[in-house]
Amino acid sequence: MAVSQIPTNGGVNPTFQLQDVTVKHNGRAVLEHITVDIPRGGVTAVVGPSGAGKSTMLRILNRFEDPSQGRVTFAGAPMSSHDPALLRRRVGLLSQRPVALAECVADDLRVGAADLSDSDVTQLLSRVDLAELSLGQGTAGLSGGELQRLALARALAVEPSVLLLDEPTSALDSEAAGAVDQVARDLVDQGGTVVVVSHDLDRVRRIASHVVVLRRGRLVEHGSPQELGYSDVDKGNVDG
Amino acid sequence: MDDVVAVPAAEIPTWWGVVASFALVALAALVSWRVRLGLTRELVWVALRALVQLVAVGLLLGLVFEFGGLATAFGWLAIMVAIGGQVAGRRARGLPGAVRVATIAVAFGAVATMGILLLLGIIDATPMVVIPVGGMVISWTMVATGVALRRVRDSVGSSRDRIEARLALGLNPTQAYEQQRRDAVRTALLPAIDSTKVVGLIALPGAMTGLILAGVEPLAAIRYQIVVMYMLLAGPALAAATATWMAERDLFDSAQRLRRFSVPAGSS
Repeated sequence: MAVSQIPTNGGVNPTFQLQDVTVKHNGRAVLEHITVDIPRGGVTAVVGPSGAGKSTMLRILNRFEDPSQGRVTFAGAPMSSHDPALLRRRVGLLSQRPVALAECVADDLRVGAADLSDSDVTQLLSRVDLAELSLGQGTAGLSGGELQRLALARALAVEPSVLLLDEPTSALDSEAAGAVDQVARDLVDQGGTVVVVSHDLDRVRRIASHVVVLRRGRLVEHGSPQELGYSDVDKGNVDG
Repeated sequence: MDDVVAVPAAEIPTWWGVVASFALVALAALVSWRVRLGLTRELVWVALRALVQLVAVGLLLGLVFEFGGLATAFGWLAIMVAIGGQVAGRRARGLPGAVRVATIAVAFGAVATMGILLLLGIIDATPMVVIPVGGMVISWTMVATGVALRRVRDSVGSSRDRIEARLALGLNPTQAYEQQRRDAVRTALLPAIDSTKVVGLIALPGAMTGLILAGVEPLAAIRYQIVVMYMLLAGPALAAATATWMAERDLFDSAQRLRRFSVPAGSS
Protein backbone atom coordinates (compact mmCIF):
# COMPACT_ATOMS: atom_id res chain seq x y z
CA MET A 1 0.00 0.00 0.00
CA ALA A 2 1.30 3.42 -0.96
CA VAL A 3 2.33 5.69 1.88
CA SER A 4 0.91 9.19 1.79
CA GLN A 5 3.31 11.94 0.87
CA ILE A 6 1.13 14.50 2.64
CA PRO A 7 2.37 16.03 5.84
CA THR A 8 -0.06 16.23 8.75
CA ASN A 9 -2.71 18.95 8.90
CA GLY A 10 -1.55 22.44 8.15
CA GLY A 11 1.63 21.47 6.29
CA VAL A 12 0.48 21.77 2.68
CA ASN A 13 -2.46 23.62 1.17
CA PRO A 14 -4.23 20.97 -0.83
CA THR A 15 -5.23 21.37 -4.44
CA PHE A 16 -7.17 19.01 -6.63
CA GLN A 17 -6.47 18.85 -10.32
CA LEU A 18 -8.76 16.93 -12.63
CA GLN A 19 -7.34 16.31 -16.09
CA ASP A 20 -9.61 14.90 -18.80
CA VAL A 21 -11.55 12.91 -16.21
CA THR A 22 -14.28 10.54 -17.36
CA VAL A 23 -16.28 8.38 -14.95
CA LYS A 24 -18.57 5.63 -16.17
CA HIS A 25 -21.23 3.77 -14.21
CA ASN A 26 -22.29 0.52 -15.90
CA GLY A 27 -20.88 1.78 -19.18
CA ARG A 28 -22.73 5.12 -19.00
CA ALA A 29 -20.60 8.26 -18.67
CA VAL A 30 -21.50 10.18 -15.50
CA LEU A 31 -18.64 12.64 -15.95
CA GLU A 32 -17.01 13.27 -19.34
CA HIS A 33 -13.65 14.84 -20.12
CA ILE A 34 -13.61 17.14 -17.09
CA THR A 35 -10.50 19.29 -16.77
CA VAL A 36 -10.63 21.68 -13.84
CA ASP A 37 -8.57 22.80 -10.83
CA ILE A 38 -10.04 23.11 -7.35
CA PRO A 39 -8.09 26.05 -5.94
CA ARG A 40 -6.30 26.02 -2.60
CA GLY A 41 -8.31 27.62 0.17
CA GLY A 42 -11.73 29.15 -0.38
CA VAL A 43 -15.06 27.59 -1.10
CA THR A 44 -15.62 25.92 -4.45
CA ALA A 45 -19.28 25.38 -5.30
CA VAL A 46 -20.18 22.61 -7.72
CA VAL A 47 -23.54 23.41 -9.25
CA GLY A 48 -25.76 21.94 -11.90
CA PRO A 49 -29.07 20.15 -12.35
CA SER A 50 -29.81 16.65 -11.03
CA GLY A 51 -27.77 14.02 -12.86
CA ALA A 52 -25.02 16.50 -13.74
CA GLY A 53 -22.38 14.37 -11.94
CA LYS A 54 -21.86 16.71 -8.95
CA SER A 55 -21.86 14.00 -6.26
CA THR A 56 -19.63 11.78 -8.41
CA MET A 57 -17.12 14.62 -8.64
CA LEU A 58 -17.03 14.85 -4.83
CA ARG A 59 -16.57 11.08 -4.52
CA ILE A 60 -13.53 11.28 -6.80
CA LEU A 61 -11.95 13.83 -4.49
CA ASN A 62 -11.90 11.47 -1.47
CA ARG A 63 -11.28 8.44 -3.72
CA PHE A 64 -14.61 6.77 -3.17
CA GLU A 65 -14.49 6.52 -6.94
CA ASP A 66 -11.70 6.38 -9.49
CA PRO A 67 -12.03 7.83 -12.98
CA SER A 68 -12.38 5.37 -15.84
CA GLN A 69 -10.11 7.71 -17.77
CA GLY A 70 -8.00 10.77 -16.97
CA ARG A 71 -5.96 11.81 -13.97
CA VAL A 72 -6.73 13.30 -10.58
CA THR A 73 -4.09 14.74 -8.27
CA PHE A 74 -4.25 15.97 -4.69
CA ALA A 75 -1.50 18.20 -3.30
CA GLY A 76 0.42 17.61 -6.54
CA ALA A 77 0.50 13.83 -6.26
CA PRO A 78 -1.73 11.29 -8.05
CA MET A 79 -4.64 10.03 -5.95
CA SER A 80 -3.32 6.46 -6.11
CA SER A 81 -0.10 7.50 -4.38
CA HIS A 82 -1.96 8.53 -1.22
CA ASP A 83 -2.89 6.05 1.47
CA PRO A 84 -6.72 5.97 1.18
CA ALA A 85 -7.43 6.15 4.95
CA LEU A 86 -4.95 9.01 5.48
CA LEU A 87 -6.34 10.82 2.44
CA ARG A 88 -9.87 10.56 3.86
CA ARG A 89 -8.75 11.94 7.21
CA ARG A 90 -7.43 14.96 5.31
CA VAL A 91 -10.38 15.19 2.94
CA GLY A 92 -13.61 14.89 4.94
CA LEU A 93 -16.93 14.12 3.27
CA LEU A 94 -20.43 14.93 4.43
CA SER A 95 -22.68 12.80 2.27
CA GLN A 96 -26.16 13.62 1.06
CA ARG A 97 -27.70 10.94 3.31
CA PRO A 98 -26.20 11.43 6.76
CA VAL A 99 -26.46 8.51 9.20
CA ALA A 100 -25.78 8.06 12.91
CA LEU A 101 -22.84 5.79 13.64
CA ALA A 102 -23.29 5.36 17.40
CA GLU A 103 -26.12 5.24 19.90
CA CYS A 104 -25.35 8.53 21.65
CA VAL A 105 -24.16 11.91 20.41
CA ALA A 106 -20.72 11.90 22.08
CA ASP A 107 -19.88 8.36 20.90
CA ASP A 108 -20.95 9.35 17.40
CA LEU A 109 -18.46 12.21 17.30
CA ARG A 110 -15.74 9.89 18.62
CA VAL A 111 -16.09 7.31 15.83
CA GLY A 112 -13.27 8.93 13.87
CA ALA A 113 -11.59 10.72 16.79
CA ALA A 114 -11.54 8.37 19.78
CA ASP A 115 -9.59 10.71 22.07
CA LEU A 116 -12.05 13.61 21.84
CA SER A 117 -12.67 15.10 25.31
CA ASP A 118 -16.14 16.02 26.54
CA SER A 119 -15.32 19.72 26.11
CA ASP A 120 -14.18 19.04 22.52
CA VAL A 121 -17.52 17.36 21.90
CA THR A 122 -19.43 20.31 23.37
CA GLN A 123 -17.41 22.74 21.25
CA LEU A 124 -18.05 20.78 18.07
CA LEU A 125 -21.78 20.65 18.80
CA SER A 126 -21.79 24.44 19.25
CA ARG A 127 -19.99 24.93 15.94
CA VAL A 128 -22.80 23.17 14.09
CA ASP A 129 -25.57 24.86 16.08
CA LEU A 130 -26.42 21.75 18.11
CA ALA A 131 -25.46 23.17 21.52
CA GLU A 132 -28.84 22.11 22.91
CA LEU A 133 -27.95 18.42 22.59
CA SER A 134 -26.51 16.66 25.63
CA LEU A 135 -23.50 14.40 25.22
CA GLY A 136 -25.39 11.27 26.22
CA GLN A 137 -28.44 12.03 24.11
CA GLY A 138 -29.53 9.17 21.88
CA THR A 139 -29.06 9.61 18.14
CA ALA A 140 -32.16 7.57 17.28
CA GLY A 141 -34.58 10.44 17.92
CA LEU A 142 -32.69 13.14 16.02
CA SER A 143 -34.42 14.90 13.13
CA GLY A 144 -32.98 14.82 9.61
CA GLY A 145 -31.52 18.30 10.04
CA GLU A 146 -29.96 17.46 13.40
CA LEU A 147 -28.50 14.28 11.98
CA GLN A 148 -26.99 16.23 9.10
CA ARG A 149 -25.31 18.67 11.47
CA LEU A 150 -24.17 15.82 13.75
CA ALA A 151 -22.54 14.19 10.71
CA LEU A 152 -20.87 17.52 9.92
CA ALA A 153 -19.53 17.77 13.50
CA ARG A 154 -18.27 14.18 13.19
CA ALA A 155 -16.42 15.10 9.99
CA LEU A 156 -14.92 18.18 11.71
CA ALA A 157 -13.79 16.06 14.69
CA VAL A 158 -11.15 14.46 12.45
CA GLU A 159 -9.79 17.95 11.66
CA PRO A 160 -9.71 17.66 7.86
CA SER A 161 -8.02 20.34 5.81
CA VAL A 162 -10.51 19.83 2.98
CA LEU A 163 -14.23 19.41 3.55
CA LEU A 164 -16.50 18.00 0.84
CA LEU A 165 -20.16 18.88 1.45
CA ASP A 166 -22.82 17.15 -0.64
CA GLU A 167 -26.05 19.22 -0.47
CA PRO A 168 -25.33 19.96 3.21
CA THR A 169 -28.30 22.24 3.84
CA SER A 170 -31.01 20.26 2.03
CA ALA A 171 -32.71 19.23 5.31
CA LEU A 172 -31.96 22.41 7.29
CA ASP A 173 -33.91 25.56 8.13
CA SER A 174 -32.26 28.88 7.27
CA GLU A 175 -30.73 29.34 10.75
CA ALA A 176 -29.13 25.90 10.79
CA ALA A 177 -28.01 26.36 7.17
CA GLY A 178 -26.34 29.60 8.27
CA ALA A 179 -24.41 27.63 10.92
CA VAL A 180 -23.17 25.22 8.25
CA ASP A 181 -22.07 28.15 6.07
CA GLN A 182 -20.22 29.58 9.08
CA VAL A 183 -18.40 26.26 9.55
CA ALA A 184 -17.30 26.46 5.91
CA ARG A 185 -16.09 30.05 6.34
CA ASP A 186 -14.21 29.18 9.57
CA LEU A 187 -12.44 26.30 7.87
CA VAL A 188 -11.41 28.57 5.00
CA ASP A 189 -10.19 31.23 7.49
CA GLN A 190 -7.96 28.54 8.99
CA GLY A 191 -6.45 27.86 5.56
CA GLY A 192 -8.72 24.97 4.66
CA THR A 193 -10.61 24.23 1.46
CA VAL A 194 -14.32 23.54 1.11
CA VAL A 195 -15.97 21.97 -1.91
CA VAL A 196 -19.73 22.16 -1.74
CA VAL A 197 -22.40 20.70 -3.99
CA SER A 198 -25.46 22.90 -3.90
CA HIS A 199 -28.68 23.65 -5.69
CA ASP A 200 -29.11 26.85 -3.69
CA LEU A 201 -27.91 29.79 -5.83
CA ASP A 202 -28.26 32.34 -3.03
CA ARG A 203 -26.02 30.22 -0.90
CA VAL A 204 -23.48 29.85 -3.73
CA ARG A 205 -23.39 33.64 -4.10
CA ARG A 206 -22.91 34.05 -0.34
CA ILE A 207 -20.07 31.64 0.31
CA ALA A 208 -18.40 30.51 -2.93
CA SER A 209 -15.11 31.93 -4.12
CA HIS A 210 -15.02 29.59 -7.11
CA VAL A 211 -17.86 27.97 -9.04
CA VAL A 212 -17.79 24.83 -11.20
CA VAL A 213 -20.85 24.41 -13.41
CA LEU A 214 -21.70 20.92 -14.64
CA ARG A 215 -24.44 19.73 -16.92
CA ARG A 216 -25.06 16.14 -18.02
CA GLY A 217 -21.59 15.14 -16.86
CA ARG A 218 -19.82 17.85 -18.79
CA LEU A 219 -18.08 20.99 -17.55
CA VAL A 220 -20.06 24.05 -18.68
CA GLU A 221 -17.63 26.54 -17.17
CA HIS A 222 -15.78 27.51 -14.02
CA GLY A 223 -14.40 30.61 -12.37
CA SER A 224 -15.22 33.14 -9.67
CA PRO A 225 -18.90 34.00 -9.17
CA GLN A 226 -18.07 37.50 -10.37
CA GLU A 227 -16.43 36.21 -13.55
CA LEU A 228 -19.34 33.94 -14.32
CA GLY A 229 -22.13 36.23 -13.21
CA TYR A 230 -25.46 34.89 -12.03
CA SER A 231 -26.68 34.42 -15.56
CA ASP A 232 -23.72 32.15 -16.29
CA VAL A 233 -24.50 30.04 -13.27
CA ASP A 234 -28.06 29.82 -14.58
CA LYS A 235 -26.67 28.18 -17.72
CA GLY A 236 -26.39 25.04 -15.65
CA ASN A 237 -30.15 25.12 -15.08
CA VAL A 238 -29.56 25.17 -11.38
CA ASP A 239 -32.71 24.58 -9.40
CA GLY A 240 -33.76 27.10 -6.79
CA MET B 1 -13.68 -44.51 25.15
CA ASP B 2 -12.53 -48.10 25.68
CA ASP B 3 -14.24 -48.84 28.99
CA VAL B 4 -17.83 -48.34 27.90
CA VAL B 5 -20.37 -50.55 29.55
CA ALA B 6 -22.77 -52.26 27.19
CA VAL B 7 -26.43 -52.50 27.98
CA PRO B 8 -28.88 -54.54 25.90
CA ALA B 9 -29.04 -52.90 22.47
CA ALA B 10 -32.38 -51.78 21.09
CA GLU B 11 -33.89 -53.57 18.14
CA ILE B 12 -32.72 -51.86 14.92
CA PRO B 13 -35.54 -51.28 12.39
CA THR B 14 -35.67 -53.84 9.58
CA TRP B 15 -35.92 -52.75 5.95
CA TRP B 16 -39.62 -53.49 6.22
CA GLY B 17 -39.73 -51.04 9.17
CA VAL B 18 -38.00 -48.41 7.06
CA VAL B 19 -40.58 -48.85 4.30
CA ALA B 20 -43.39 -48.71 6.88
CA SER B 21 -41.96 -45.46 8.29
CA PHE B 22 -42.67 -43.92 4.90
CA ALA B 23 -46.21 -43.68 6.24
CA LEU B 24 -44.94 -40.67 8.24
CA VAL B 25 -43.87 -38.97 5.02
CA ALA B 26 -47.29 -39.75 3.57
CA LEU B 27 -48.85 -38.15 6.65
CA ALA B 28 -46.80 -34.96 6.16
CA ALA B 29 -47.69 -34.98 2.45
CA LEU B 30 -51.35 -35.37 3.37
CA VAL B 31 -51.16 -32.33 5.66
CA SER B 32 -49.41 -30.36 2.92
CA TRP B 33 -52.08 -31.37 0.39
CA ARG B 34 -55.03 -30.60 2.71
CA VAL B 35 -53.65 -27.19 3.76
CA ARG B 36 -52.57 -26.48 0.16
CA LEU B 37 -48.98 -25.71 1.11
CA GLY B 38 -47.80 -26.63 -2.37
CA LEU B 39 -45.05 -28.74 -0.80
CA THR B 40 -46.51 -32.24 -1.28
CA ARG B 41 -44.35 -33.22 -4.23
CA GLU B 42 -41.23 -31.71 -2.63
CA LEU B 43 -41.82 -33.56 0.66
CA VAL B 44 -42.04 -36.93 -1.10
CA TRP B 45 -39.09 -36.10 -3.34
CA VAL B 46 -36.76 -35.07 -0.48
CA ALA B 47 -37.76 -38.14 1.55
CA LEU B 48 -36.95 -40.48 -1.35
CA ARG B 49 -33.78 -38.59 -2.15
CA ALA B 50 -32.63 -38.83 1.49
CA LEU B 51 -33.32 -42.58 1.43
CA VAL B 52 -31.19 -43.09 -1.69
CA GLN B 53 -28.41 -40.85 -0.38
CA LEU B 54 -28.25 -42.59 2.97
CA VAL B 55 -28.31 -46.11 1.47
CA ALA B 56 -25.50 -45.12 -0.89
CA VAL B 57 -23.50 -43.56 1.94
CA GLY B 58 -24.16 -46.58 4.17
CA LEU B 59 -22.81 -48.93 1.50
CA LEU B 60 -19.79 -46.72 0.89
CA LEU B 61 -19.09 -46.38 4.61
CA GLY B 62 -19.20 -50.17 4.92
CA LEU B 63 -16.57 -50.44 2.20
CA VAL B 64 -14.35 -47.74 3.75
CA PHE B 65 -14.56 -49.26 7.23
CA GLU B 66 -13.76 -52.69 5.79
CA PHE B 67 -11.02 -51.87 3.29
CA GLY B 68 -10.06 -48.18 3.60
CA GLY B 69 -7.46 -46.63 5.86
CA LEU B 70 -7.22 -43.26 7.58
CA ALA B 71 -6.22 -41.58 4.28
CA THR B 72 -9.49 -42.71 2.73
CA ALA B 73 -11.36 -41.30 5.75
CA PHE B 74 -9.67 -37.91 5.36
CA GLY B 75 -10.38 -38.01 1.63
CA TRP B 76 -14.05 -38.57 2.51
CA LEU B 77 -13.96 -35.55 4.83
CA ALA B 78 -12.31 -33.45 2.10
CA ILE B 79 -15.25 -34.21 -0.21
CA MET B 80 -17.65 -33.26 2.61
CA VAL B 81 -15.78 -29.96 3.06
CA ALA B 82 -16.03 -29.21 -0.68
CA ILE B 83 -19.78 -29.92 -0.66
CA GLY B 84 -20.23 -27.97 2.60
CA GLY B 85 -18.39 -24.98 1.12
CA GLN B 86 -20.65 -25.02 -1.94
CA VAL B 87 -23.81 -25.20 0.17
CA ALA B 88 -22.69 -22.51 2.65
CA GLY B 89 -21.44 -20.25 -0.16
CA ARG B 90 -24.74 -20.50 -2.02
CA ARG B 91 -26.53 -19.32 1.13
CA ALA B 92 -24.80 -15.98 0.54
CA ARG B 93 -25.27 -15.76 -3.22
CA GLY B 94 -24.28 -12.35 -4.49
CA LEU B 95 -21.54 -11.82 -1.91
CA PRO B 96 -18.20 -11.55 -3.75
CA GLY B 97 -16.18 -14.78 -3.47
CA ALA B 98 -18.79 -16.47 -1.26
CA VAL B 99 -18.17 -20.10 -2.29
CA ARG B 100 -14.38 -19.79 -2.08
CA VAL B 101 -14.55 -18.05 1.30
CA ALA B 102 -17.08 -20.59 2.64
CA THR B 103 -15.02 -23.58 1.50
CA ILE B 104 -11.86 -22.29 3.15
CA ALA B 105 -13.75 -21.38 6.35
CA VAL B 106 -15.45 -24.79 6.61
CA ALA B 107 -12.10 -26.49 5.95
CA PHE B 108 -10.35 -24.41 8.59
CA GLY B 109 -13.06 -25.02 11.22
CA ALA B 110 -13.03 -28.75 10.51
CA VAL B 111 -9.25 -29.19 10.36
CA ALA B 112 -8.64 -27.19 13.55
CA THR B 113 -11.35 -28.99 15.53
CA MET B 114 -10.53 -32.48 14.28
CA GLY B 115 -6.81 -31.77 14.65
CA ILE B 116 -7.22 -30.96 18.34
CA LEU B 117 -9.43 -34.00 18.96
CA LEU B 118 -6.96 -36.32 17.24
CA LEU B 119 -3.73 -34.75 18.53
CA LEU B 120 -4.94 -34.85 22.13
CA GLY B 121 -6.06 -38.45 21.65
CA ILE B 122 -9.65 -37.58 22.58
CA ILE B 123 -11.04 -39.62 19.70
CA ASP B 124 -9.63 -42.70 17.97
CA ALA B 125 -7.80 -42.15 14.70
CA THR B 126 -9.80 -44.78 12.84
CA PRO B 127 -12.14 -44.32 9.87
CA MET B 128 -15.07 -45.58 11.95
CA VAL B 129 -14.62 -42.59 14.31
CA VAL B 130 -13.05 -39.95 12.06
CA ILE B 131 -15.78 -40.03 9.39
CA PRO B 132 -18.91 -39.68 11.57
CA VAL B 133 -17.31 -37.23 14.01
CA GLY B 134 -15.78 -35.21 11.15
CA GLY B 135 -19.15 -35.27 9.41
CA MET B 136 -20.80 -33.70 12.44
CA VAL B 137 -18.15 -30.99 12.68
CA ILE B 138 -18.36 -30.19 8.96
CA SER B 139 -22.15 -30.14 9.03
CA TRP B 140 -22.26 -27.61 11.86
CA THR B 141 -19.43 -25.47 10.48
CA MET B 142 -21.23 -25.45 7.14
CA VAL B 143 -24.44 -24.15 8.71
CA ALA B 144 -22.62 -21.52 10.80
CA THR B 145 -20.56 -20.37 7.79
CA GLY B 146 -23.66 -20.09 5.61
CA VAL B 147 -25.54 -18.10 8.24
CA ALA B 148 -22.54 -15.82 8.91
CA LEU B 149 -21.90 -15.03 5.24
CA ARG B 150 -25.59 -14.50 4.51
CA ARG B 151 -25.78 -12.13 7.46
CA VAL B 152 -22.68 -10.29 6.21
CA ARG B 153 -24.22 -9.96 2.76
CA ASP B 154 -27.53 -8.64 4.08
CA SER B 155 -26.19 -6.32 6.76
CA VAL B 156 -23.40 -4.87 4.61
CA GLY B 157 -25.92 -4.35 1.81
CA SER B 158 -28.31 -2.50 4.10
CA SER B 159 -25.54 -0.59 5.95
CA ARG B 160 -23.63 0.69 2.92
CA ASP B 161 -24.19 4.32 3.97
CA ARG B 162 -22.91 3.61 7.49
CA ILE B 163 -19.83 1.74 6.30
CA GLU B 164 -19.01 4.47 3.77
CA ALA B 165 -19.50 7.12 6.48
CA ARG B 166 -16.90 5.31 8.62
CA LEU B 167 -14.50 4.99 5.67
CA ALA B 168 -14.98 8.71 5.00
CA LEU B 169 -13.69 9.40 8.52
CA GLY B 170 -10.45 7.62 7.65
CA LEU B 171 -11.29 4.32 9.31
CA ASN B 172 -9.82 1.28 7.57
CA PRO B 173 -12.08 -1.50 6.22
CA THR B 174 -11.58 -3.68 9.31
CA GLN B 175 -12.81 -0.85 11.54
CA ALA B 176 -15.55 0.24 9.15
CA TYR B 177 -16.97 -3.30 8.88
CA GLU B 178 -16.41 -4.35 12.50
CA GLN B 179 -20.04 -4.00 13.65
CA GLN B 180 -21.43 -5.99 10.72
CA ARG B 181 -18.78 -8.67 11.17
CA ARG B 182 -19.39 -9.04 14.90
CA ASP B 183 -23.12 -9.19 14.37
CA ALA B 184 -22.73 -11.91 11.70
CA VAL B 185 -20.54 -14.13 13.89
CA ARG B 186 -22.92 -13.74 16.84
CA THR B 187 -25.91 -14.68 14.71
CA ALA B 188 -24.08 -17.71 13.32
CA LEU B 189 -23.16 -18.99 16.78
CA LEU B 190 -26.55 -18.58 18.41
CA PRO B 191 -27.90 -22.00 17.28
CA ALA B 192 -24.84 -23.81 18.69
CA ILE B 193 -25.01 -21.81 21.94
CA ASP B 194 -28.76 -22.36 22.31
CA SER B 195 -28.57 -26.08 21.66
CA THR B 196 -25.67 -26.37 24.14
CA LYS B 197 -27.69 -24.42 26.70
CA VAL B 198 -30.63 -26.83 26.64
CA VAL B 199 -28.73 -30.03 25.91
CA GLY B 200 -30.42 -32.95 27.67
CA LEU B 201 -33.31 -30.75 28.83
CA ILE B 202 -35.33 -30.53 25.63
CA ALA B 203 -33.85 -33.28 23.51
CA LEU B 204 -31.26 -36.00 23.83
CA PRO B 205 -28.56 -35.07 21.35
CA GLY B 206 -27.73 -37.20 18.33
CA ALA B 207 -24.45 -38.81 19.32
CA MET B 208 -25.72 -39.76 22.75
CA THR B 209 -28.98 -41.10 21.32
CA GLY B 210 -27.08 -43.20 18.79
CA LEU B 211 -24.79 -44.70 21.43
CA ILE B 212 -27.70 -45.47 23.77
CA LEU B 213 -29.60 -47.13 20.94
CA ALA B 214 -26.48 -49.14 20.16
CA GLY B 215 -26.47 -50.43 23.74
CA VAL B 216 -23.86 -48.16 25.36
CA GLU B 217 -24.47 -47.32 29.02
CA PRO B 218 -25.91 -43.74 29.33
CA LEU B 219 -23.06 -42.28 31.42
CA ALA B 220 -20.53 -43.50 28.87
CA ALA B 221 -22.65 -42.11 26.04
CA ILE B 222 -22.72 -38.75 27.82
CA ARG B 223 -18.92 -38.54 27.85
CA TYR B 224 -18.92 -38.83 24.09
CA GLN B 225 -21.72 -36.31 23.83
CA ILE B 226 -19.85 -33.73 25.91
CA VAL B 227 -16.85 -33.99 23.59
CA VAL B 228 -19.15 -33.68 20.56
CA MET B 229 -20.90 -30.68 22.11
CA TYR B 230 -17.65 -28.83 22.73
CA MET B 231 -16.36 -29.51 19.26
CA LEU B 232 -19.65 -28.23 17.84
CA LEU B 233 -19.00 -24.94 19.62
CA ALA B 234 -15.40 -24.68 18.41
CA GLY B 235 -15.90 -25.65 14.76
CA PRO B 236 -18.67 -23.14 13.97
CA ALA B 237 -16.95 -20.37 15.96
CA LEU B 238 -13.68 -20.83 14.06
CA ALA B 239 -15.46 -21.16 10.71
CA ALA B 240 -17.78 -18.16 11.17
CA ALA B 241 -14.90 -15.95 12.37
CA THR B 242 -12.71 -17.07 9.45
CA ALA B 243 -15.49 -16.59 6.88
CA THR B 244 -16.36 -13.06 8.01
CA TRP B 245 -12.68 -12.11 8.25
CA MET B 246 -11.97 -13.42 4.75
CA ALA B 247 -15.12 -11.79 3.37
CA GLU B 248 -13.61 -8.40 4.24
CA ARG B 249 -10.95 -8.89 1.56
CA ASP B 250 -13.60 -9.42 -1.10
CA LEU B 251 -15.93 -6.70 0.16
CA PHE B 252 -13.35 -3.91 -0.06
CA ASP B 253 -10.95 -3.06 -2.88
CA SER B 254 -7.35 -1.93 -2.66
CA ALA B 255 -8.43 1.73 -2.35
CA GLN B 256 -10.43 0.75 0.77
CA ARG B 257 -13.80 1.19 -0.91
CA LEU B 258 -16.83 -1.00 -0.36
CA ARG B 259 -17.46 -2.91 -3.59
CA ARG B 260 -20.92 -2.87 -5.09
CA PHE B 261 -22.65 -6.24 -5.22
CA SER B 262 -26.21 -7.24 -5.91
CA VAL B 263 -28.24 -9.95 -4.25
CA PRO B 264 -29.87 -12.26 -6.83
CA ALA B 265 -33.66 -12.24 -6.79
CA GLY B 266 -35.19 -14.84 -4.51
CA SER B 267 -32.19 -15.16 -2.20
CA SER B 268 -32.89 -12.31 0.15
